[in-house]
Amino acid sequence: MEALKQLRNSLLQPLIATAIGLAAGAVFISIVGASITETYQQMWNGAFGSFYFFMSTLARSTPILLIALGLAMAFRAGVFNMGAEGQMVLGALSAALVALYMPGAGVIKLLAALITGIVVGGLWSLLAGVLEAKFKIQLLISTLLFNYIAVLFTSYLVSDPFQDKSGSAALAQTAMLEKSVWLPKLFPGMTLHAGFVIAIVAAVGLFLLFRFTSFGYEVKMLGSNPFFALYGGVSQKRVMLISMFVSGGFAGLAGTVEVLGAQYRFVDGALTMPGYAWTGLMAALLANSNPIGVIFASIFLAALQTGAMGVERNTEVPLELASVIQAVLILFISARFTYAWWKKRKQGRESHA
Amino acid sequence: MLDIFDSSLVSSTIRMVTPILLAALGGSLCARVGIFNVGLEGFILVGAFAAIVGNHFTGSLWLALLLAAFVTLLFSLLFGYMTVHLRANEIVVGVAINFLGLGLTTFLLRAIFGVKGAFYDKDMQGLPQLQIPVLHDIPLLGPILSGHSPLVYVSFAAAILLYLFYYRSVTGFRVRAVGMNATAAKSIGLNTVRLQYLAISLCGILCGLAGAQLSLGQVTMFTEGMAAGRGFIALVAMMLGQSHPFGILASSLLFGLMDAISIRLQGFSLPTQFTAMLPYILTIAAMFFLKDRGMGSNRASQQSGR
Repeated sequence: MEALKQLRNSLLQPLIATAIGLAAGAVFISIVGASITETYQQMWNGAFGSFYFFMSTLARSTPILLIALGLAMAFRAGVFNMGAEGQMVLGALSAALVALYMPGAGVIKLLAALITGIVVGGLWSLLAGVLEAKFKIQLLISTLLFNYIAVLFTSYLVSDPFQDKSGSAALAQTAMLEKSVWLPKLFPGMTLHAGFVIAIVAAVGLFLLFRFTSFGYEVKMLGSNPFFALYGGVSQKRVMLISMFVSGGFAGLAGTVEVLGAQYRFVDGALTMPGYAWTGLMAALLANSNPIGVIFASIFLAALQTGAMGVERNTEVPLELASVIQAVLILFISARFTYAWWKKRKQGRESHA
Repeated sequence: MLDIFDSSLVSSTIRMVTPILLAALGGSLCARVGIFNVGLEGFILVGAFAAIVGNHFTGSLWLALLLAAFVTLLFSLLFGYMTVHLRANEIVVGVAINFLGLGLTTFLLRAIFGVKGAFYDKDMQGLPQLQIPVLHDIPLLGPILSGHSPLVYVSFAAAILLYLFYYRSVTGFRVRAVGMNATAAKSIGLNTVRLQYLAISLCGILCGLAGAQLSLGQVTMFTEGMAAGRGFIALVAMMLGQSHPFGILASSLLFGLMDAISIRLQGFSLPTQFTAMLPYILTIAAMFFLKDRGMGSNRASQQSGR
């Protein structure tokens, strides 16, 4: 009964926020002078209307989900990692380079590329963690700054030393990966690839880690009450550093599966333009850092985006409808902390009376 | 290589610097009351759009500037309501504000002007280039300092005014007190909520003008997402400048110079990524030495301990 009540409480706020977000979207649809029901109908069709569209939505949710899982881990430990974007592109480019230039059989190269992506993303993120631990340079600021350095550095690498010079147009991208290192598609003719399976397995793994291991408990303790955790002998630095490495590794993996499973090469801007990193952050917040909840939140946000593409194809309403709905939704989700705080205060007052 | 540096480079630096400087000064106001505002990017974009709307419908540049400042002020109050009143996490709200700014402006671009991507009208007047009488005739210095849009001069004046506000006025002293220790400020009877709202609204006005300089000063058009990361650069300039108006002026000038050099380098087909990267590397390096890590308030240490 208690568990059921808890579930209801944790679902209530996201649902209310979603409703408000959709309502705000409706206001803007009517401003453009389009029909609200028809637009949302088109949105639904664009996201889930056919098996093909549904698979495309899941494909888009894959990098969002992986990033959100890493951030869920970081947020649980009270670590504000804002550098998912940089960790993602560095991981993705290193993985692409390994897949391109390492000798050996396809499967080995594929595995090596995946591991490289995770490790590079993780190490780049860990660097910010070390700066905080050793020199007290705030994570919030350093991770934000590291994004630009990473994005500009990868942009330089693919527009000069590792640029694909085979085509006639000199685009900023690496050469195409050979077919043997591609992540397999789950269904023929669909965009969904094996990266989604990796993400789901990771989500379940993270859920079990949080639920059943002492490390998971330490993370939770540190995030919810750092003083109690310190009293209990938890090393704040150790948990922070591990959280940074893991969240960066997940971001690196997100970029890697996108390269190996969808684009088959590293293209400058292809990972940053869709805003995967920020959407992942929103998904982690929307799900209150619960790994299983993150799966649904990621698919929901991806559906908003693929749905909005459908809307843009078929109506006069622009794609940015998704941005508006997302933003309003997150604004109302972020007010949750207050709501919980307010309720706690009210309870406190009642117990005193 | 040497022909990269000439007086027109300095002149274009001054032009580039204005939106960054205005927004960074706005960001410092928020930092001074203990709010780390990542939503500057969204503010600038809204200001740029409002300026074009004002210009198109009223035909008056002054009304356009007024509208840009006013609309961004309203937008900043939304940020203020969420962070101050509802105590939502300011980073989360800032990220959402950026999405909202991008979504709203693109949306309204379609709704009001019926175009996609960019709005341009050949009858629309941009901000005039002020030829300052005596200054203009000085050789060498004249062409550098004279002939900019009024907002360029406003931005430099704003830095000086903000310095006087922080360090020579009672309200400014109180604003700084809120950022240093909100509890102590409250205990001596300061209305911290009102001071925070004041700082956030001033930030909104400054960012609105920054946006107006983008859409009416440098060009006379609006394009989707035309803030193009300047809000974040401003945030970095604010951190490097330690939220001190003159520090911000110096760091903004440096970043503006990098911006101007980057554009120059494109003509020489040299990689621009490294000049673009320099501000961030420099700021990281500076963090090793800066005592309060760029926030200009104690909030920094409180937050990392959370």
